Amino acid sequence: MDKPQLIEHLHEAVNYTVYDTKWVPLSAKFVVLGSKANGHGIMDIYELNQDKLVKVKSVEKKVAFKCGTFGAASLRNRHMAIGDFEGRLQVLDMEQPDLPVYNVKAHSGIINTIDAIGGTQIDCGAPEIVTGSRDGAVRVWDIRQGQAPVVDMSPPPQMGDGVNQSSARRDCWAVAFGNTYNAEERIVAAGYDNGDLKIFDLRTLSVRWEATMKNGICGLEFDRREIPMNKLAVTTLEGGLLVYDMRTQHPTKGFSYVEERNAGRSVGTNGVISGPKATVWAVRHLPQNRDLFMTGGGTGSVRLWQYEYPDKRVIDDSDGNKLGVAGALNMVSAATLSSQPVHCFDWHPDKLGLAVCGAFDQSVRVLITTKLNTY
Amino acid sequence: METEKKKSLLEKYDIPIHHLDFAYVEKCTNAREMEKIVHILRSGQEGYYPDLLRCSEEKLKALKPDSKLFRYEEPIKQSNVLDKKELEPILEWTDDIKTKDSALNELKKEKLVLELPNVRKLSKIELDKQSNEPSKPVAKVSMQSKTKNKDDRIKSTDYRKWDKYDPDEEILRMDLDEERGKEQAEQRITSHQKSANEKELQNEKASLFERLQTELKNLSQLEREQFAERHRLRGNEYFKAKEYDGAIEEYNCAILYDPENAARAYNNRAVSHLKLKKYFSAMTDCQACLQLEPNNVKAHLRLAEANCAEGKKLEALSIYKKVLELEPDNVSAKNSVEKLTSQLGEVAPASATRLTIEELDPPELKTSNSKKQLVKSTQPVAKKQIPTKAANTTPTKDYDLAELIKPNRMVKSKLVSAAEALGNQLQAPKGDAPKKPPLPLSPKESILRLPQDKLNISNKLLIQEI
Repeated sequence: MDKPQLIEHLHEAVNYTVYDTKWVPLSAKFVVLGSKANGHGIMDIYELNQDKLVKVKSVEKKVAFKCGTFGAASLRNRHMAIGDFEGRLQVLDMEQPDLPVYNVKAHSGIINTIDAIGGTQIDCGAPEIVTGSRDGAVRVWDIRQGQAPVVDMSPPPQMGDGVNQSSARRDCWAVAFGNTYNAEERIVAAGYDNGDLKIFDLRTLSVRWEATMKNGICGLEFDRREIPMNKLAVTTLEGGLLVYDMRTQHPTKGFSYVEERNAGRSVGTNGVISGPKATVWAVRHLPQNRDLFMTGGGTGSVRLWQYEYPDKRVIDDSDGNKLGVAGALNMVSAATLSSQPVHCFDWHPDKLGLAVCGAFDQSVRVLITTKLNTY
Repeated sequence: METEKKKSLLEKYDIPIHHLDFAYVEKCTNAREMEKIVHILRSGQEGYYPDLLRCSEEKLKALKPDSKLFRYEEPIKQSNVLDKKELEPILEWTDDIKTKDSALNELKKEKLVLELPNVRKLSKIELDKQSNEPSKPVAKVSMQSKTKNKDDRIKSTDYRKWDKYDPDEEILRMDLDEERGKEQAEQRITSHQKSANEKELQNEKASLFERLQTELKNLSQLEREQFAERHRLRGNEYFKAKEYDGAIEEYNCAILYDPENAARAYNNRAVSHLKLKKYFSAMTDCQACLQLEPNNVKAHLRLAEANCAEGKKLEALSIYKKVLELEPDNVSAKNSVEKLTSQLGEVAPASATRLTIEELDPPELKTSNSKKQLVKSTQPVAKKQIPTKAANTTPTKDYDLAELIKPNRMVKSKLVSAAEALGNQLQAPKGDAPKKPPLPLSPKESILRLPQDKLNISNKLLIQEI
């Protein structure tokens, strides 16, 4: 067996619904965000201690937490940016979580998704946080700015205000930063419940590209945030997984992609993946190898994929325009963790193969993936 | 109803039932069909045949090992399946990371004054406006053409108008329209891409490095290590994707961030340079790596490889031998030593051969030059310049005419002889190994003949002119 194996190292059952799990950079700790039965938000910090999990800290707040990220935090002050069910964005110091470093009413609806960048880069633009919400808006925040977003990408007001839901407003389910390789360039990708994918260019302040998937977009991630755009992985309802080659944009055809329609399929007989289609909830690229990534599925499975580049990534089409060529997807390994969807997953940024994931069965798992170094 | 709605897989795939047979499966070569057969057998619709299924799965595995039908998913294993040994690194790592963690917490107390980029100006991206923009011109054009069509359409009976109609012009117009559309699309894309020439980019990079250096002084060793490691990993990713320029850039950063522990980054940058055939840079990187880690086998190997590619085979050989001292079982070093010794013949002490290298090169050129009756060959001239000198130094005026013709020919022969000189450089030690094996000499002659012939021709020409 030279295939990577997925192993459940530790398992922790909790008494609340888990919404997000994230490693604290450069530590053996991770944060679990969730919602208690009474609707209160809870943030637990666990630490690996030999072969046990130890709860270091537990913080409860009035509003349920939905998502969080350490992307805008420097190594010295590892502050976490958290979005909650009432549209509030707060940046918390893990040592003094009672008093937020930054606190803003960012959206009128729940913040579904969050991403941040710039914390650990030098001279590559400001640390910024992007949030996507049920009110249809995608907003970029700089915590030095005060109460207004630095870039606002919201639908026009005639589409309703998000509180009085009007059908024209789309629910934003996924956001991701990318292309941050110097002080000016920066890109935000946003995915909506109707399958719209929008790529915003923050340098030129325009919509760079748009596409529509067949199903709502649940997960988005650039393979690397800090390099010129390379690949963008998109996961959707009904088991879709698409990987776009973001190097070359064709004037009319846009970016090329490879699609895996059965990425969310459940397990049929004898462990063969042939069952009904289920949502692919999340996608996370391995920090040590950008061509490997994990997807978490609605059938309680995690699947490890490898992207193989084509021989030539760019070809000239008949009109002399450059057209990107997508590679191939290869499922490396798969394992069933739970009977409920695995909706959040986070690789440890500093340790190859270590990961934490949360599922809707009210539990958190620390996973080890072996033999990743052979890829 | 049910039967109508649910066709059996056999019907759906249109596979005759007698294909579900050992004999057929055995000789089937169509991977797609095998997939279908396996699918049918697995479904159990035609009955349960475990042996046949196993047989056809094996066949499919042989035909198409990466078939989607082999995607299995297992329940996750518990950590007790892992050996204690395999878990140990993780436990060790937790201890290690904890010390780093607490060190960072200590650092938190120091106030860091990193210059952060400015907050960007408040701005808004209009969603609908932007999305409409690209489609607008198209809509307009189609609208225009529609109205045009209504007005301009020539009735089939209107012969006077048809006389004036020029199809070529219309075609040209259509082509122009199409081109305009394409240009607009391209403009949209290029507006997103920066128009920066290479010089600007380099300047930018240089200033970036300077700024980085000043900021790096404010960072702790721990942070620098982290940043350097991240850059190194990203470099590795570029390398894997065969984008060596990107890789070199990342390694540059890694070295800049943490020069004291940059042995691996140097080493990796050396390979990237090797891949780009920049042997000199590769050598300096290997040497830098060896300064940090004198016993790094890989760096030695790469240094040898670069030397070999540059033609310094003797140096390469001595490095390979050093590798074998460090690691007696190194296969690639052993092979290379064998190869090189067979090429070089018996190897003398490095010092002896080095002298002879210097000796051999000029005489060869001298022989060819002497045919041209060159006097100036006593001067140590760079090899490449010699033919041009020959042209320039032909003294008497009678040669003027010849010189008018010569340049073309001289350029040709210059190239050849220059290439030859390089070739000689590579082969120089060959003929000069002290015991002088007779074999290598013959190829040398055959290679040499070419430029000489050409020179002879030019000489003949010269003579004719005189």
